[in-house]
Amino acid sequence: MLEKLKTSLAEAFPGIELNLSVNERSIVTVSGECDAWDTVVDVGHFLAKQEGVKNVVNKMTVKGLVIPKKDYAPFAKKGKEKGVIRKADVVIVGAGVCGCGIARELSKYELDIIVTDMADDVCTGASKANNGNIHPGMSVKPGTLKAKLNIEGNRMYQKWADELGFALDWCGCIGIVTDERLMPAAQMVFQVAQINGVHEPEMIDAERALELEPNLAKRNLNIIGGAYFPSFGQVESYEVVTALAENAAENGVEFMLNTTVAEVLHEDGEVKGVVTDRGIIEAKYVINCAGVYADEISAMAGDECYTIHGRKGTLAVLDRHMKPEFKSVLMILDANMIQNQKNAESKGGAMCRTNEWQMLLGPSATEVPDKEDNTTTEADLAYAMATNSNPDAGYKDIIKTFCGVRPADYSEDFVIEMSPVTHGFINVGAIQSPGFASAPAIAKMVEEIFLNDAKDVKKKENYNPYGKRKVEFRHLTREEQDALIQKDPRYGRIICRCEQITEGEILDALKSHIIPTSVDAIKRRTRAGMGRCQGGFCQPKVLEILARELGKEWTEIHLKDGNSQILFSKNREKAEKGDEQS
Amino acid sequence: MKKLEYDIAVIGGGPAGLQAALTARKEGAEKVLLIERDVELGGILQQCIHDGFGIHRFGKRMAGTEYAQTFIDELEQTDIDVLLDTMVLEVTKDKLIYACNNKDGMMEISCKAVILSMGCRERTASQIQLMGYRPAGVLTAGTVQRYINLEGYLPGQTAVILGSGDIGLIMARRMTLEGMEVKGVYEVMDAPGGLTRNIVQCLDDYEIPLHLSSTVTKVHGKKRIEAVTVAKLDENKKVIPGTEETIECDLLVLAVGLIPENELSIGCGVEMDPKTRGPMLDHRFMTSIPGIFACGNVAVVFDLVDYVSRSGEVAAEGAVAYVNGKIDEQPEYVQTIPEGNVNFVVPQRIAKGGSAKVQMYMRVKHPDKKTELEIREADEVIQVKKQAFVAPPEMISCEVEVSGNADVVVNMKEAENE
Repeated sequence: MLEKLKTSLAEAFPGIELNLSVNERSIVTVSGECDAWDTVVDVGHFLAKQEGVKNVVNKMTVKGLVIPKKDYAPFAKKGKEKGVIRKADVVIVGAGVCGCGIARELSKYELDIIVTDMADDVCTGASKANNGNIHPGMSVKPGTLKAKLNIEGNRMYQKWADELGFALDWCGCIGIVTDERLMPAAQMVFQVAQINGVHEPEMIDAERALELEPNLAKRNLNIIGGAYFPSFGQVESYEVVTALAENAAENGVEFMLNTTVAEVLHEDGEVKGVVTDRGIIEAKYVINCAGVYADEISAMAGDECYTIHGRKGTLAVLDRHMKPEFKSVLMILDANMIQNQKNAESKGGAMCRTNEWQMLLGPSATEVPDKEDNTTTEADLAYAMATNSNPDAGYKDIIKTFCGVRPADYSEDFVIEMSPVTHGFINVGAIQSPGFASAPAIAKMVEEIFLNDAKDVKKKENYNPYGKRKVEFRHLTREEQDALIQKDPRYGRIICRCEQITEGEILDALKSHIIPTSVDAIKRRTRAGMGRCQGGFCQPKVLEILARELGKEWTEIHLKDGNSQILFSKNREKAEKGDEQS
Repeated sequence: MKKLEYDIAVIGGGPAGLQAALTARKEGAEKVLLIERDVELGGILQQCIHDGFGIHRFGKRMAGTEYAQTFIDELEQTDIDVLLDTMVLEVTKDKLIYACNNKDGMMEISCKAVILSMGCRERTASQIQLMGYRPAGVLTAGTVQRYINLEGYLPGQTAVILGSGDIGLIMARRMTLEGMEVKGVYEVMDAPGGLTRNIVQCLDDYEIPLHLSSTVTKVHGKKRIEAVTVAKLDENKKVIPGTEETIECDLLVLAVGLIPENELSIGCGVEMDPKTRGPMLDHRFMTSIPGIFACGNVAVVFDLVDYVSRSGEVAAEGAVAYVNGKIDEQPEYVQTIPEGNVNFVVPQRIAKGGSAKVQMYMRVKHPDKKTELEIREADEVIQVKKQAFVAPPEMISCEVEVSGNADVVVNMKEAENE
């Protein structure tokens, strides 16, 4: 196999000197130097596509490019000095949609579960920065784990929404064809949907398209046909993850935030726990949901079996004034589309809308050497904006641009398994699109892997699957709003004028199990600061509430995790101190 | 739900709203209500502790707070009702206002006339497509002003300012006085965005460099801003390769423009002017919905508070006339038409037939010298005013007597030789 790979690799990438090795699990490791990051990615993808290759560990470097690498040593040193701080049954690394979903699933059992995350809050990575699409499963390769879990996850979402109380809108997705040449593409997507088992896909004609989306008539399009997928859903991703985390915590899961896992302890093929910067946690199981860092965590567990290459995507949210024309996510496949198409691996998102009825454009898809590179760029924004088909909407309507990094591996499939090398270590890696849609099925699959192994776990008697319903002032009628304020006057003070978020809602968020301590964490819980002024008016008010409720100084309140303080000092603090001394 | 009735309700207690409420009462409206979302009246003036306010109106240089207090003191001598810490959520075309606070709950306020004076907000990093990371330490100038002047905290030590709007210039001086270092002001356009007097008094006096035709192309720093990349722009506003420079800073202040805050206006369905981003107004500053008026920065972004107050008077006089049944419910209009170097004129139209003294405000498209403002009605020149110097940041104001029988053309052209 190795020789065959070497030959085909040399043919495909002549002039690059690469070292290859293959292990007994058909994991290929490649190293060597090339001239461009894209080549690194291309070699990885090429190898992963070769027959018999399970996955690729890509250690290639680029001439003249320093690829940032996280240095875990200082974290490990700090943690080891503190020694063992906790013993648990399960440690879940990473508090994104997978980590929190799995934590909640396993909280049904009599288990001591800890979820760690390096950030100050749950949902700060890829789970936050995406477009909240619950894909039906028509754009995944049949036969992959992705396809299976996407379909299953999609079907499980309503239950999650019902139990946890987050908004889920089955808005449907429609592809409208206006150029003959694209009809086969629509048919192919439909066929893939059928093969994958997507719920009730439908080929449609112009009449049906107009019935589904009457506003299409205004566009004056030559509709040849199209495909309709009613099982396309839309959520606010941070709402889902915080609801999962809150419910998991309600059922006894402990969340350790601002905690970086620096080593995975293992001995004789058995996982023993993790070393974090806050101390050592001994555990029988370690579940790796570390997003872009999942490959590194897996390597720490002695199981180097895939490499994550970050693929960033820029998104743009438009002002509410620019009302979405369509209820569904509607794509018009025309000649422009043919030009805009990138390679199959890097396809980006489309024009959709949030459940708050704002247009949402993107994401783009750009490979980046730095996993933490969530910078927006002009080119990426242009890509996102090109997904817009509304002639009235454009750059002038943007209220927010943001960017997330997809944790893709080279097989472009999910890696979910009990490690065959280190028993007790479960990989949940390379969860990129449609990871959010697949999340409920991923949680269930990990539960099964866990139960197959840990046979004697008991179900909790008092497990409560229901999340607390949030008060959302903006969605109430005037009478309901009045009644609410009469009952609790704190709902009468609007803090965020753009999104009409009240002090009561912010205080509710602060009363939760996982206390949001930064301005952005409050934003994800309540929408305060998410509107058109982007916190220009409400940031000082949110900061004041946070300082007051958490008993902190104003200067101690941060925008997000890490060193992100908003205010440095009181005015003339130095001068005043000087006065005291003199 | 609490139900209230007023002759005139004014939304927003900044300089425009304060003046509008006072004038409305003075002109004879009996029940006047002023609604303010903040905990005190004065609007943005409460954080404007610098001087330069009131030169036209009071003939002296006052601090913003002092200017506001003059009106607040006057208001306290009247029977005008004031609701503080109260947010208006909705205004209907039938002049019903829904507002709430934590004492009264939700209120339904029915009025004979409504005056909109909600002010404006600042353009943000995303709106100007600022690229790179989104760390702490990127703030709009007004937010920085609030933190420093009202809350008493410094949001950084070393600042770069993007945009030369007036608040940015004022803050350049303010931050310097607070011991912070301001490394420079970067302006995309080839001319400053703020008033000349602010360039002189806030930058030149403190040797803060102003870089025209320059911008910030990238924000560095994942958590807290660490630096910005700045670059020179060519005449098409494209980055000139090789001019990029990285400047270390821990604060980026954005002074990149103001947007009239017209969400309530749009909500009740008034016709908008895409140029001013305010409602289409007639000579009484009445919107397209009879009985709904607008003044201050919600109508058009002014640069002098004196003009803002004046617009409040005009709107209030109109509102009282409306309450007294003196305004047609379906008015017909002639238009004001900008010509030459004139970019826009407020008001955008004048009631047909009724001769009137009209307060006009306008901005030019580009800087010019030795120009002449010529106002024509049909073919007749009704006013000529020489202007030694004009520039987009400096709003021009004039009062014109019109007949209302023909469109009024407002032209800015080269001055004729004497």
